[in-house]
Amino acid sequence: MIELKNITKTYELNKNDKVVALDNVNLTINEGELVVLKGASGSGKSTILSLIAALSKPTSGEVIVDNKKISKLPDNFASVYRRDNIGFIFQKYNLIPTLSVKENIILPLVPLNPPANEIVEKLDRVAKMFNISHKKDAIVRNLSGGEQQRVAIARANVNDPKILIADEPTANLDEKLSLNFIEILRELKALNKTIVIATHDPLFFDLDFVDREIQVHNGKIIL
Amino acid sequence: MKNKINVYLIEYAINAILRQKSKSFFIVFVFTLLTFLLTSVFFITNSIRYELDSTVDTLPQIIVQKIKAGRHYDIDVDAVDNILEIAGVSDAVARVWGYYYFANAGVNFSVVGIEQYENQYKNSFDKIASKFDLSEIDSKVSMVVGHGVKETMHDSYYKEYFNFIKPDGTLKRVNIAGVFEADTQLESNDVIVMSKDTIREIFDIDESKATDIVVKVANPEEIPMVVSKIKLIYPDTRIISSEDLKVSYQNIFDYKSGIFLALFIISLFTFFIIIYDKSSGLSSEEKREIGILKAIGWRVDDVLKEKFYESFIISFFAYTLGVGFSFAYVYIFQAPILQNIFVGYSQLKTSFELPFIFDLQTLFLVFFLSVPIYIAATIIPSWKVATLEADEVIR
Ligand SMILES: Nc1ncnc2c1ncn2[C@@H]1O[C@H](COP(=O)(O)OP(=O)(O)OP(=O)(O)O)[C@@H](O)[C@H]1O
Ligand SMILES: [Mg+2]
Repeated sequence: MIELKNITKTYELNKNDKVVALDNVNLTINEGELVVLKGASGSGKSTILSLIAALSKPTSGEVIVDNKKISKLPDNFASVYRRDNIGFIFQKYNLIPTLSVKENIILPLVPLNPPANEIVEKLDRVAKMFNISHKKDAIVRNLSGGEQQRVAIARANVNDPKILIADEPTANLDEKLSLNFIEILRELKALNKTIVIATHDPLFFDLDFVDREIQVHNGKIIL
Repeated sequence: MKNKINVYLIEYAINAILRQKSKSFFIVFVFTLLTFLLTSVFFITNSIRYELDSTVDTLPQIIVQKIKAGRHYDIDVDAVDNILEIAGVSDAVARVWGYYYFANAGVNFSVVGIEQYENQYKNSFDKIASKFDLSEIDSKVSMVVGHGVKETMHDSYYKEYFNFIKPDGTLKRVNIAGVFEADTQLESNDVIVMSKDTIREIFDIDESKATDIVVKVANPEEIPMVVSKIKLIYPDTRIISSEDLKVSYQNIFDYKSGIFLALFIISLFTFFIIIYDKSSGLSSEEKREIGILKAIGWRVDDVLKEKFYESFIISFFAYTLGVGFSFAYVYIFQAPILQNIFVGYSQLKTSFELPFIFDLQTLFLVFFLSVPIYIAATIIPSWKVATLEADEVIR
């Protein structure tokens, strides 16, 4: 279960200028739930995602995941929390363009130093699942946008995380690939993962397997 | 399992080096050059210092020269008898010698005269006196030469004899009787030994004159006392003690190494530019990469470990390469170019063998001057980025 309690997030641009990205947000997402965050550009969707992933800390309020105060974790523990619990599909994918598909996918496993067969097993599982096996040795830079996204999804799933987060997953895809992604999402939902997606793509609205759509507006949640 | 070396991390580090080919190549190049120069200088310095120390030990304790208006003139041989009478003096020998400029090769030879019944002031000359029949050298007008001299003469097709040009323009033919060995190369390389009579003829020095007088003192403590007494009897002389010589040898040497120091500073400068460039901040791709690694679950120390491997591999590789090149350059190829900067007291450009002195201290010194500095210069900026909020870095 993910809980955001009285979350405020402000960014200080300089001494006198502040941006209030989130303003007293309260939100609870249950285990296995698929939630879509909707809202205009700049409304605060990405900020919510990065707080859930402990990529940033709230200015005030608490983020609680499985009864643990994520927002209070020291940096190193936040990393471990991400590694063990979060699969993040970034808007710009955030792959390392000069590495191969395989090397990108196993990146979250590297600090764990697992036995070689375990790496191969996990790699094969996600590469097959997200249909990128045939490109395992290709350099990511040379892949198409859709392929790059599948690598990003594979990487996010390689540790089999409980929580999946996707930020504008279809922003860089054409309609066919976007529908493809929605099918992938359906499969992931079937695996009983908690999924949070930020998007303003209408393709995501009124999908049968989406549990909830949440409107974000000017840093506030509109119920 | 926790303490097992993480091969994936090392693999990633090697990958990171290979991914930025031109940058890595540049770093390895400059780094190798730096360690190469640094190590070579130390190697050469060590070898020469070793030679120098052994040479200084063979120097005469006191040399007396006649000076007129600051210029060196030939001294009266009679002075030897007077000096011998000074208390503490165990021996005094009038030397006849000079620098002979061999225009053909553009080098100077040190031509030294020795005599059969005279005590020699250098061990190496004693050896010559015992090895060669000096009376024969005298009658046959011949000479014994150092290795460098022999090679220089050979290069000009003088194999059996050499023609010296006397001050009046006529030639003096002197046979090469043999090549002599000395304790140190610096001492012997440019030296020619012949009879005093022959030298007198070549340099046009009168029977009653000598180039200088070398004095032996039984008790080295008494050298300053003897020096001041000679000065009293012969105020028109310059008196050089072995201590003075040591200093001036050192001066020549240090001056020459100064030229090299300049070269070294230039390369050091380049090295620090790299370090500056690195520590002044990472490129946006490098920052982003660290941010991505953090975002997918790497801890700060995972990132730093990777950076450590990366910088250690590249700097240690370059260090090894530089030291290897330096070994080959100094001891196998005998340090061409650099050697000329350091050696050649009488401008004799001949093969001077650098004695091999293996010095672990030098290797450690160069290592600590380069590798840890580079590693720190890599890790510190990475650490700065890695401790930032991941969200800030990848946004
Ligand atoms: N690091 C930052 N520094 C300054 N301002 C920031 C920073 N991150 C976000 N903001 C601001 O916070 C607000 C919310 O940003 P956020 O990225 O969460 O919006 P969003 O809903 O994801 O928008 P989009 O649909 O364009 O992705 C915006 O006004 C944005 O400019
Ligand atoms: Mg956003």
